[in-house]
Amino acid sequence: MGLIQRMAEEAGVWTISMGNAADRMAHIKPPRAMLVKFARGSMLGEPGNVKRQRRIILDALAALQTMTEPGTIQELPYRWKQPDPE
Amino acid sequence: MPIDLDKFKPAYEKWVEESLPDFRAGNMTEIVKKYPFISPDDIPWTAYAGQPSDQTFALVTSGGLYLKDSQPPFDTESIHGDTSFREIPKTVRQRDIGIAHAHYDHSLAEQDINIVFPIQRFVELEDEGIIGKLADTHYSFSYVNDVVSLVTETVPEFISRIKAAGIDVLFLVPV
Repeated sequence: MGLIQRMAEEAGVWTISMGNAADRMAHIKPPRAMLVKFARGSMLGEPGNVKRQRRIILDALAALQTMTEPGTIQELPYRWKQPDPE
Repeated sequence: MPIDLDKFKPAYEKWVEESLPDFRAGNMTEIVKKYPFISPDDIPWTAYAGQPSDQTFALVTSGGLYLKDSQPPFDTESIHGDTSFREIPKTVRQRDIGIAHAHYDHSLAEQDINIVFPIQRFVELEDEGIIGKLADTHYSFSYVNDVVSLVTETVPEFISRIKAAGIDVLFLVPV
């Protein structure tokens, strides 16, 4: 996935990805990414948690506009089955 | 070429040969440990400009999603994985989607596909004008080890399609 992202960014398409493994992300170096503490297969949190899914996407839209350094990885504060921070 | 395939190729061929017994036995931890992960030095970058509310978005997942009624599932048997991708329409419903990926637990995504492919959330953001446009077509990949075919064949085709579709931003969710 990291390679697909890198090649799209290189082709002039803005990209932002999610990830849950800082060590893997350090190897592949995505242009922009958000790091979550969720397991594989549920990057946007628990099934049915619409509010959290939306928040994560809004975080990504904000990150597009604020990340200015190639390779920026933003850690998100959300925890599995715990309420979102205010 | 963004990555050093000349270096990767022999390491990958050796890995396939050595890992096949472990792969067949399902010892995934072992084969991941030995996989010749690519680690590029550079980071590609296109400086962002404008506003999401004026731009066209598309989603990419590596969750192994396909349309049950009209597309073949991904190959889940080969050690090389499956380097093809499926086009998923914006109008897709949960019940239309199958998942063919043998190397993650997709039971939660089967309850709510949005946790690997947040299509409904993006439709809402388009309706609200928070993003300019959600593309008509989105993309799913699956499990891939054969990076050579991926990088030389599949991704160039994928990029030509997103360019033709006028995509400004890709939101990528790996599994």
